[in-house]
Amino acid sequence: MTNISTHTMVATQGLTKQYGSVSALDGVDLTVPGGTIYALLGPNGAGKTTTINILTTLAQPSAGSAQVAGFDVVRQPDEVRKRIGVTFQDLVLDPDLTGRQVLDIHGRLYRQPTSLRRQRIDELVALVQLNDAIDRLVKTYSGGMKRRLELARGLMTDPQVVFLDEPTQGLDPQNRATIWDYVRMLRRERGLTLLLTTHYMEEAEALADTVGIIDGGRKVAEGTPSALVAALGADRIRISGSGDASHLLSELRALPFVDSVTPFERGLEVGVDSGSRRIAEVVASASGNGFTVEDVSVLRPSLGDVFLQYTGRALRD
Amino acid sequence: MNATITIWSKHMTKFFRNREELGGLLLQPILWVVLFGVGMGALVRNVDGSDYMSFMLPGVLALTALGGAVGGGMALLDERLRGILKEYLAAPIPRLSILMGNAASTVTKALFQATIILVVGALMGAHITGNPLGWVALVVLLAMFTIGFAGIALAFAARSKSIMGYHGLIFLFNLPLLFASNALYPLVNMPGWIKAIALANPTTYLIDALRGLTFGGTASIALPISFAVTTLFAALGMALALWSFRRTIR
Ligand SMILES: Nc1ncnc2c1ncn2[C@@H]1O[C@H](COP(=O)(O)OP(=O)(O)O)[C@@H](O)[C@H]1O
Ligand SMILES: [Mg+2]
Repeated sequence: MTNISTHTMVATQGLTKQYGSVSALDGVDLTVPGGTIYALLGPNGAGKTTTINILTTLAQPSAGSAQVAGFDVVRQPDEVRKRIGVTFQDLVLDPDLTGRQVLDIHGRLYRQPTSLRRQRIDELVALVQLNDAIDRLVKTYSGGMKRRLELARGLMTDPQVVFLDEPTQGLDPQNRATIWDYVRMLRRERGLTLLLTTHYMEEAEALADTVGIIDGGRKVAEGTPSALVAALGADRIRISGSGDASHLLSELRALPFVDSVTPFERGLEVGVDSGSRRIAEVVASASGNGFTVEDVSVLRPSLGDVFLQYTGRALRD
Repeated sequence: MNATITIWSKHMTKFFRNREELGGLLLQPILWVVLFGVGMGALVRNVDGSDYMSFMLPGVLALTALGGAVGGGMALLDERLRGILKEYLAAPIPRLSILMGNAASTVTKALFQATIILVVGALMGAHITGNPLGWVALVVLLAMFTIGFAGIALAFAARSKSIMGYHGLIFLFNLPLLFASNALYPLVNMPGWIKAIALANPTTYLIDALRGLTFGGTASIALPISFAVTTLFAALGMALALWSFRRTIR
């Protein structure tokens, strides 16, 4: 059941959404090829949910346009709706239904015949490992179980494109890892196209083929996680120890491959072009000038540093 | 239609599972009939040629339908505030079918209550017609009236920011609709200006027709007019609900 498609499955052009005087989205262009995972990474209020709402036809853009699976979200909303699965940022489950009823009602809304619904429910319950709980009321589920049930619901109608708005928000590390496994599996085995949002950089790094960094309603950077990090160019070498670091500081600043030297309470942080190549030279210059080195480590930049670079702010939880 | 039935059956599943709602909904009409029947019935023997119980029951039916419609709006508001509505909105179903599903479960519950009211009322001496057409008329009129008021309730529920706000708004409608009607006084005895208000109120047409068709009295308004008014009320109520709903989900 693979529907791998190299066509563009999600695209937006100049997507803009105004809420009164608040500009929730301000001219966002996205392109997500079929069979890939795209992660929108950004802090709270960046416009991630607004983007998902427009792409899933829950909200209309103020300007710009968007297509999902080749259909325009404003002019052909029903065509879009037939082809997508969604999990929303908040858990939206009826507490007074059983897990099985939740899935069954969802299938009925999409006019799936009874036999197909039964078959899909069996498959999905096995996939998200809810076998023991599926006939219990949803209000007895843990947060992780609810998320898994929602994921199963999103997949119930065999969608071509799946949208996950902060799929692991509020989950413990173990449940988070489980959801990550499902997401990877869906792309690998079913060739699904996934667009997810997150404010955890590890999540974007772990899952996405392409990451789009979004802040204040604008896309500020985009690329594969490794390309985004590599584009920063530099590593940092952290030297800690005891003694007077002032001589070392001026000596390091004179070296051609050093971009920056920043003191911290127990030593210095040195910005270099490549941490692994320069570590020996940096340590060598630290001998015989009043500073005793006790520990050296190379810090590779993360998507968090990429975020800092493009927005001037740290990515907070 | 498919989505309407799905949403209706979901609401009914939840309803039968919720003992509190079920109990309240069954007890409330019994309480009304007994209170009106025993309390007022002891003071007033006869109104406009019919016994007090038969005179009162159409008003009790209307009151219960109003309460049911408020509950129907509440169900939509609850699903909206919880975000459950998003599941429907992202599905390839007409927006109207969401409202229709809600109205359908509201009507079903109102008809349950009507059955109880009629049984208890009959036990307490009301004269209920044996003519099956009278029963069909009751179901149709009551369903139309409930849909109409459910539409108004849904229109508020689609916009309200909170449960308190919703109840505040709905309260402005609920009781006046009952008091400014012929529920408690016969139309013929009303002073002119009250009568004019009562005639602008769809509740009056429901009650008047029910008295004539189901409770062995005489209708003072021509029956086709009463049917037309309640049907129009149903259509306008749902149109209002749809208009309000469309505006919120932009
Ligand atoms: N319905 C709304 N009415 C008014 N402002 C809104 C609404 N939805 C979102 N916003 C505003 O739009 C901005 C983006 O919000 P959102 O898309 O939810 O961000 P994110 O999902 O990245 O946290 C925020 O400033 C938010 O306050
Ligand atoms: Mg969000």
